Amino acid sequence: MPNMHRRSLLVSLGLAGAAMAMKRPVFAATNFPAKDIAFIIPDGPGGGFDSYVRAIAPAMEKYLPHKATIVPTNVPGAGGARAATEIYRAKPDGYTIGIFNVPGIYIQQERHHTGFDVAKFSWLGRVGVNQYGLAVGEKSPIKSVSDLKALSKQRPVKFTSTGPAGTAYNATLIAAHLLGIRAQLITGYRGSREYVMAAVRGDGDAVVTVIPTLRRMAAGDTLRILATFEQHSSVPGAADATALGAPELSQISLQRLVAAPPGLPADIKAALATALSKALADSAVVAWAKKVDADVAPETPDQAAATLHDQIAFYTKWKPYLKTSN
Amino acid sequence: MMHVWLSGIEGLLQLKELTFLALGMIIGLIFGAIPGIGGSTALALLMPLTYGLEPFTALALSGGVMGAVPMGGSITAILLNAPGTAPNAATCLDGYPLAQQGKAGLAIGAAASANSLGGIIGTISVLAVLPIAKELVLLFGPPEFFLLAILGLVVVATTSRGKMLRGLVTGGFGLMVAFIGYNDVVGDVRFTYGIEYLWDGVHLVPALIGLFAVAEMMNLMVKGGPVAKDAGTVKVTRMMSGVIETFRHPGTVLRGSIVGTVVGAIPGVGGVVASFLSYSLTVQASKDQESFGKGNIKGVIAPEAAINAKDGSALIPTLAFGIPGSAEMAVFLGILVLHGLQPGPLMLVQNQTEIYGLVWALTASCILASCIGLVLVRPLAMITLIESEVLAPVVICIALIGSYAIDGQIGNVVVSAVFGVLGCLMLRFDYPRLTVVVALVLGGMAERNFHQSMIMGDGSWLIFATRWVSGILLASIIILLGSPVLRALIRRIRKQTVVAAGAP
Repeated sequence: MPNMHRRSLLVSLGLAGAAMAMKRPVFAATNFPAKDIAFIIPDGPGGGFDSYVRAIAPAMEKYLPHKATIVPTNVPGAGGARAATEIYRAKPDGYTIGIFNVPGIYIQQERHHTGFDVAKFSWLGRVGVNQYGLAVGEKSPIKSVSDLKALSKQRPVKFTSTGPAGTAYNATLIAAHLLGIRAQLITGYRGSREYVMAAVRGDGDAVVTVIPTLRRMAAGDTLRILATFEQHSSVPGAADATALGAPELSQISLQRLVAAPPGLPADIKAALATALSKALADSAVVAWAKKVDADVAPETPDQAAATLHDQIAFYTKWKPYLKTSN
Repeated sequence: MMHVWLSGIEGLLQLKELTFLALGMIIGLIFGAIPGIGGSTALALLMPLTYGLEPFTALALSGGVMGAVPMGGSITAILLNAPGTAPNAATCLDGYPLAQQGKAGLAIGAAASANSLGGIIGTISVLAVLPIAKELVLLFGPPEFFLLAILGLVVVATTSRGKMLRGLVTGGFGLMVAFIGYNDVVGDVRFTYGIEYLWDGVHLVPALIGLFAVAEMMNLMVKGGPVAKDAGTVKVTRMMSGVIETFRHPGTVLRGSIVGTVVGAIPGVGGVVASFLSYSLTVQASKDQESFGKGNIKGVIAPEAAINAKDGSALIPTLAFGIPGSAEMAVFLGILVLHGLQPGPLMLVQNQTEIYGLVWALTASCILASCIGLVLVRPLAMITLIESEVLAPVVICIALIGSYAIDGQIGNVVVSAVFGVLGCLMLRFDYPRLTVVVALVLGGMAERNFHQSMIMGDGSWLIFATRWVSGILLASIIILLGSPVLRALIRRIRKQTVVAAGAP
């Protein structure tokens, strides 16, 4: 325990150091890491991406070739574009890495033509993936997906969601299209917790979001899950992509990928990727994931790059349908 | 019910928990007192430290920090016109004039006791409403949030009496600044002029540091001399005089505490609204409105009671729905998740011991912090006797470093500097700063929720009148806007009656 404290104190002291660490020249790769590593989170403290990084960072430190501290650094703003830009511009020395929301960050790139290119990042792996599901508030008269379809014949079904640049917005529109539901989105909620609560409150008719969030709210008798977009539903009583006759639904996903700036030397990339994959199998991370119902689904750097490629292809295919804004 | 409340206390009354609570309290006091860095910075720095702690101990530590931050923040707000944390900005309005009159001790004493009383009343209210917390939180949707934001702006605008037009000018300016950055509804950035820092908007705390701390110190430099004009008064300050003053205004304390509790329970609104609303309502309710802003002790008591009362009820949306009311609560949420306590409606049922323990930790910490604040009244009051040549550079340095330390961005310092100059000019030409602050806080919220309400109601304005909570809010806005007219009318009628009676 005392050791733990000391290390933790170092982490906090490291916060200040991390900012400077990014600007210094590349060290000899064999020494890597010789100083703190900043692990950039595209979101404020308390969110999903934040908790993944904070749970993984201490475990990842254990598997680095040399002793170093990994400092979770929050860079919120512009739907992740600020963090991505910062990582893209950082020196490719391994001392700046970050977690990415895919396809969210690609959507940002498409919308704003910002100062980064997702294809060029040095992808280190994946930490988790979430599939989506469809739910209504507990008090809603809608009991099934066919009820929603019936409602859609009278008027557009209102879904609560993030703004058009958010992953949830696009997931909702694609899902509605696949299900043959006319959708109107109430946008602007900040993050999944907000728009899910909005659905519970009755701001809109229904909500599409990642399954763990749905499960948690349904357990508290606030939300009724109508369907999960998995091939085989993990929620008893809820329809799945197969039953709904729309297998493509299962391709809608939220990928949590980790990357470093473009041009990361191969040996540093290997060291970081190895530490990341070992950390994901570490007992502390496994226990954390179980406790908070977080999905840990590791992938190698090559697999992660392929996942990114698939997501870009999927999003590009649906792009023509994503213009229907309110 | 009773035994659940007590189980939280039992868990807290362990040596380890109490030690961490006290540690958190001291950290909270110090971090609260330094402008810029507040509870969120303190909790963010402590977050890794809590890895090794039991969840309950981590809660005691966090509760200690959060309970003490407002007290620390009020000290600098009163002594230096530099709000330690954003909600304390309301305390500056009358606290600092009191310090200038040499009554800093009185103001700090009043703030400390109002803090404690507010905390206690807030705790009682939260314990009472926790069973129906879920329903309470769900009452507020976009139409209600929009009207609440408008109500906040109206309350403040009507408070700046005689300077209504100036208030509107600065309020409009605040709204313009509030719209800079990312628009959540349409998902694009605007008014950023290619500056990356502005993508996330103009941050509130750096702006407040500029508007109050930097501006005031610049002003002091120009005038010269210490903060307090009369050294004699400072030296006779007694510790208890402020406490007595608070107890002489039970209505103000109660009003502040209730405003704090209600506002705290509304997700995403936060302490700044609580303290400013409490201040403005107190001004509205009092007979000597002209004395506010010139050192009325009630102007210190009202916001301070609200700030601490809101802490307990702010836990409701944070825990039940994972929606934090402030930056501080957001970091606290991170600590919860780190310890495997996943916020959600189930938490109110499953983790009652932890929740009640946390509520008690908050209360204990705010009382302890107030006591420390009281003990320090006299030495702290001496700060107001330091010459401006020494004080101003030191405070400006600390303030700008604090601004930078929020998230390590140099853009924050630029914002503080710009708003510092602006604040100084506003002081000089007598424009109210209160409206800028409130517009900055509420502008984004008003815009977003208006847009959402319009989508919800298919473009019909009726949505603001047909839901009962929004109906009440709408009625309050109309009454508030109408009351000056009504008051003037009554006065005129009365005058005529007097004239008529005296005529023959």
